[in-house]
Amino acid sequence: MSGRFSAHGQVAIVGYAQSPVVRHADKTLGVLATETARQAIADAGLEVGQVDGFVSATLFPTAGAHAAEDGVSIVTPNWLAANLGVDPSYAAGFQGMGQITGSVSMAVNALASGAADYIVLHRALHNPPGRYHENPMTQAGGSQQWTVPQGYFGPLVMIALLYNEYVQRYGATREAMAQVVVEARKNGARLPWSYWHDRPLTAEEYLAAPLINDPICRFDCDIPVDGVAAFILTSAERARDLPHRPVYVAGYASGAPSRARLPLHWPLDDVQEVGAAMAQRLWASSGISPAEVDLPQVYDGFSPFVYLWMEALGLCGEGEAHRLVLDGGIDADRPGTLPVLSGGGALGNGRMHGIPQMLECYLQLSGRAGDRQRSASVGVACHSSPHFGGAVVYTSEPS
Amino acid sequence: MSELRRPVPVPDEASAPYWEAAARHRLALPRCSRCARLCLPPSSICPSCHSTEPDFSWEELEGRGQVRSWTVIRQSFLPGFADEVPFVLVDVELDVQEELRMIARLLDGPDAPLGVGSRVQLGFEDLPGGAAVPAFELEADS
Repeated sequence: MSGRFSAHGQVAIVGYAQSPVVRHADKTLGVLATETARQAIADAGLEVGQVDGFVSATLFPTAGAHAAEDGVSIVTPNWLAANLGVDPSYAAGFQGMGQITGSVSMAVNALASGAADYIVLHRALHNPPGRYHENPMTQAGGSQQWTVPQGYFGPLVMIALLYNEYVQRYGATREAMAQVVVEARKNGARLPWSYWHDRPLTAEEYLAAPLINDPICRFDCDIPVDGVAAFILTSAERARDLPHRPVYVAGYASGAPSRARLPLHWPLDDVQEVGAAMAQRLWASSGISPAEVDLPQVYDGFSPFVYLWMEALGLCGEGEAHRLVLDGGIDADRPGTLPVLSGGGALGNGRMHGIPQMLECYLQLSGRAGDRQRSASVGVACHSSPHFGGAVVYTSEPS
Repeated sequence: MSELRRPVPVPDEASAPYWEAAARHRLALPRCSRCARLCLPPSSICPSCHSTEPDFSWEELEGRGQVRSWTVIRQSFLPGFADEVPFVLVDVELDVQEELRMIARLLDGPDAPLGVGSRVQLGFEDLPGGAAVPAFELEADS
């Protein structure tokens, strides 16, 4: 792709719903998704029958031996449409990393092309009984034969190797990362739907936590939850007739590393090189420069991503994010800082993937953030890693 | 703590020569006949030149390299490793080819002095049933 995205400013978010984020919901994930979708449709001022498009990503991000069952541990777009009683003209799932930003890109493309008029974009995440990632396997075939026999298993190891590379190269400290997690939990504690509502974390608590996979401790990982969020997207033209102030999609980009790697191997150089190229495409497609962004929302499902996204987006120099954080540079309550976790992120909400980032962009840019309302006009919502995931630029004005 | 045994590799057609060599405590990797580059894991398409007919030949190599990153696993999600923690995993760039990486256990234990660039050499861990899994050890003179 070259130059500005031709659907720039032509698609908008016009409503949303966010379920309570809990460890284990008292209803099935399918019921939670159906109710949340109905709420989002009503929030946008629409009837269920007007919705003709469904988009989601259904990855069940566990390394454990849990089954992916539609309506129970995942909710596909087709399942949701059928249970809302809709025969959609467009229903599609995003398969890849950066599930939320990828889903948004599919919804934007479908609306801009006329494949659908009103799309429900949802994400339903499930916390199964038992340990989330535990896997009793005693044999490892396929891609796992290259990792599992060595005890190299699950996403924490992947992140630990990546983060230690960062720590060794740039001298990042646990004291700096404590500030990242404290900031996420501080902002998450202010959100009524968050699992961490009213439960901030102190730096002392962070520093006292034992390491699991050095240098990662449990507070560096978002907590598995049951939760659903849904957004309604439509054309900018249709958005004018709806009750809430639209938030426009200016552009998006995703990363796609070309170098073959072992499974679960995300070396720092890959993240930085491919992430920088992804960011260039993001600015080109959106026609926005990093300096114009006043609401960056970086992904933080594992805390080291905060540094990697800040640097990939050019909010600070490579290797500098940890120092900026230590100097209070991401404290959303201080003027002139980078409020990269003002929406609490996944660390402050629970494992909702890139939903907290997208939701914060929507709430702030539509003026619906209540007593958390900030002055902002350009947001960026990120998901996953800069080299495998993606980002979307949102604006409060269509161009 | 756990009755489950440590997972063993299940070789397939593409990986059989690798595991057969490992059982003899040798490192064997496939080399593409088109571009002469090595790859790991074995693949049906050469990851370097993207030939769909790489006609790989297996070659036994010396497994020396340098540490690019590492982590100490203090809690494993594999119950079969419950008796092994804490243990160290190292991300190693092999000397034989730039950016050819292997990730395996470091057998020197969690207190071994490690840094980016630490020199390591391949060792092997024997598993029940005759399989052996590549691992690393710090080079004696490093």
